[in-house]
Amino acid sequence: MIYDKGYYLDTFRVTEPVLENLIQCARHSGGDYADLFFENTVYSDLLLRDGQVASGGLHTDFGVGIRVLKGEKTGYAYTESTDPEAMMQAAKAAATISLQGGVGAPGAQASAGRHCGRPNPAADRYPMEQDWREARASAFVPMLEKLQKLIEQKESRVIKVIAMLSSQVSDILMFNSFGELKYDTRPMGSITVSVIFKQGDIVENKSASRSWRTGAEMITDALLEEIADEAVADIDARFQAIRPKGGKMSVVMGAGASGILLHEAMGHAFEADFNRKGQSVFSDKMGKRICGKGITIVDDGTIRGNRGSINFDDELVAGQRTAMVEDGVLTSYLHDRISANYYGVPPTGNGRRESFRYHPIPRMRCTYMESGNAKPQDIIASVKKGIFVDQFSNGQVKIGEGDFTFYVKSGYLIENGRLGAPVKDINIIGNGPAALADIRMVADDLIIDPGTWTCGKEQSVPVSCGIPTVLVDNLTVGGE
Amino acid sequence: MIDSKEIALTRKCLESALEKGAQKVRVTLNKSIMDLVGTLNGELDKTSHCLDRSLSISLLVDGRYGSFSTNRIEDTDSFLDKAIDKARMLAADEFRTLPAPERTAKDAVEGTELGLYDPGYPNTDAQKRIETALKASIFKSAPEGLISEETEYTESISDTLILDSNGLYCRHTETSFDYGVEMTVMDGQGNKFSGYWWDSSPWRNKLDTSVICPTALERARAQINPLPHPGGKTNLVLDTEVASRVLSPVLKALSAYSIQQNNSFLTGKLGQKVFPDGMTIIDDCRVPGQSGSRLFDSEGVATRTIPIIENGVVKQYFVNTYMAGKMGMEPNIESATRPRVVPWPRAGLTRQDILEMCGNGILVTGFNGGNSNSSTGDFSYGIEGFAFENGKITHPVREMLITGNFLTLWNNLIAAGEDARSCMSKLIPTLAFSNVDFSA
Repeated sequence: MIYDKGYYLDTFRVTEPVLENLIQCARHSGGDYADLFFENTVYSDLLLRDGQVASGGLHTDFGVGIRVLKGEKTGYAYTESTDPEAMMQAAKAAATISLQGGVGAPGAQASAGRHCGRPNPAADRYPMEQDWREARASAFVPMLEKLQKLIEQKESRVIKVIAMLSSQVSDILMFNSFGELKYDTRPMGSITVSVIFKQGDIVENKSASRSWRTGAEMITDALLEEIADEAVADIDARFQAIRPKGGKMSVVMGAGASGILLHEAMGHAFEADFNRKGQSVFSDKMGKRICGKGITIVDDGTIRGNRGSINFDDELVAGQRTAMVEDGVLTSYLHDRISANYYGVPPTGNGRRESFRYHPIPRMRCTYMESGNAKPQDIIASVKKGIFVDQFSNGQVKIGEGDFTFYVKSGYLIENGRLGAPVKDINIIGNGPAALADIRMVADDLIIDPGTWTCGKEQSVPVSCGIPTVLVDNLTVGGE
Repeated sequence: MIDSKEIALTRKCLESALEKGAQKVRVTLNKSIMDLVGTLNGELDKTSHCLDRSLSISLLVDGRYGSFSTNRIEDTDSFLDKAIDKARMLAADEFRTLPAPERTAKDAVEGTELGLYDPGYPNTDAQKRIETALKASIFKSAPEGLISEETEYTESISDTLILDSNGLYCRHTETSFDYGVEMTVMDGQGNKFSGYWWDSSPWRNKLDTSVICPTALERARAQINPLPHPGGKTNLVLDTEVASRVLSPVLKALSAYSIQQNNSFLTGKLGQKVFPDGMTIIDDCRVPGQSGSRLFDSEGVATRTIPIIENGVVKQYFVNTYMAGKMGMEPNIESATRPRVVPWPRAGLTRQDILEMCGNGILVTGFNGGNSNSSTGDFSYGIEGFAFENGKITHPVREMLITGNFLTLWNNLIAAGEDARSCMSKLIPTLAFSNVDFSA
């Protein structure tokens, strides 16, 4: 959704000459580059708990962040007022960085200048027929109540349902020292349900969520049915699940939500700031083979309506699709303007931030592995002894070492090529580069997961992830 | 730092909400300023200046409850109209109310009563902050193996004011000076290892930045050359820096909310002895000059120094005003404010004392992923650390897991040291447990 330029200038009570003055002030002491990020966000939420929607909220956040770059160094300040004096004070505070005599990479400014992006609008990736800001909460209260009823109708062991509908719409205006002006209205709707089940004395829980950059039209009866089905699916397996004997074994990642492992264990190590600082395990691997032929890993900001999609990133670079690994070879990091200058390459549209309170850093968008040629059933059939995992949680990775650990929410043993007993309460531990190198088969069934994924690297930003069914050898499964 | 004009705006917001139809109102003004200096490899890398003000507004309108916030504090009129309109769309909830005035704090009026405000806070400038950050860096002395040093020095002040329509007036003001460092080293084979260390103080002159970079470097180097460990059942010694991982789930399980939602492994255990004699945890929340101390919670309810678990007996569930009504319990405080694990079996134990007491086992210095089941207390965490024998560290270990149950774990408590870091809001010392299941 994009309104006309006047709408955004009016929202932030600024004019183009005011923006130019601010940029001049920010660069007055020698900054190479400066940009402004205006944001007006309205958040809304409704919570169903104990059978009724008795809690809800409305939140507004308004302000402008001002950034000055001096070479690779960043000066940043923000103000919650667009009063000219407040903005000038913030611009002067951000300019502090350029008083310190920082030395930029040769040709840094020129390089940044060549990658100004496209005129507004570059794209319109946020379908919004009904603006969340104009939608009445009273329309959604019955929908949450209906979701609870659907879940209770589908499964008699349900003892608690907690459902939340949250939405936000952000008006964004950006201006930089190249004279570029970009503007955007970014919607986001999310619905999440957590269900607690009881069988005898055993309590289990499951959750399901959906999130898209769309308007309020996303809440439909069909969506509620879909979420309710997912929330109760395979609950028998949860109650029957065992903690298996651990050890090194083959692990088959199910298509879809397993992509979070790709995001955490590999994706972060591809972010260029970690590589520029020499901290990433991949910092000396550019152009080298890091996994088998046929494997391509992508970070894509162009999927219409996807939670990780962007028209522009938060430093005015057009959203795009970036192949990090092509046919097994590391071909690109994920860049913001700073790292792009450092490496002498175009920025990849990954400069993102949580809000005007943060300066942009390289962040993922929608990260996935492209489909291969194998069939999922053939992959499972190829495993003599291992586990199949379709849902992870609480993953963590050490960027320098590449070590990762993921908690398995649901999965099954694989014995002699067939799915066996369900498993739970286990972790998979491994090393990112080693796991990539140990990928043996990739299926033709890529799924981008539609869940409410949020990446928490220093700041929280919405992302999504996906993966086809994949076989990885030699991962450590921690069990009994 | 909150000025008289902002106090007046907060009061005006409260009064406007009442005039517009709310029957009960709580308004919280949060204001903070933070200045940050980041360095990379001994050079200035970033500076930032942050000033935040926001109003959080809890409204009870015709028995309906909503929670709202805005940072446009001079312009709340139309926002309150929308907020009250939204609250009216929700279901009535008979248990939503404000805390009774007799439960609220009366001794937090100026904000500085706890002595957590450094009067010297304003006496600095950007250049001095940059000098402080650069002076503490050790990268340019070229320590062997160091390939990256990233530091952040911050100075901040936060000020909170809570008013409600029952006449509540509470204020808390705190300054904080923090320095954190991430070091990455490389061994002879090109393997990278990272180490982190930090410190914090409410007073600028009590923050010793000189020891932080060397400590982070030492923690990174100590991980070089990890060796396989066979796993099995052995003693677990938990470094104070990460020990909250095994206490936080216990505190969460004591929350009335978790219990009401059937999501606590300590349901029905109030007053029962479910932990060992040696386990005593006190909410030591009113200690002047100590980080984490607070005189009131987010409802304005006065904190109290009370035992949470005493000699293994559960003494306290955390019950806020809403959950008290909903569960028919007496309200107290919404959560532990500054929990402190009491040393056991004797005072004064250091980490080395505890390693020697245990003899053999694994010292865990970091967690890497994993999860716990809040309704059963089962857990499984990725860990890193060091194997030790006869009280002495022998080699680093990584890519290992510990699995178990929190009740079982705490019942195998061997010792609790007296080395909790005062800069942390949870005062958890080095802990030791027997018979913990490690796998590799």
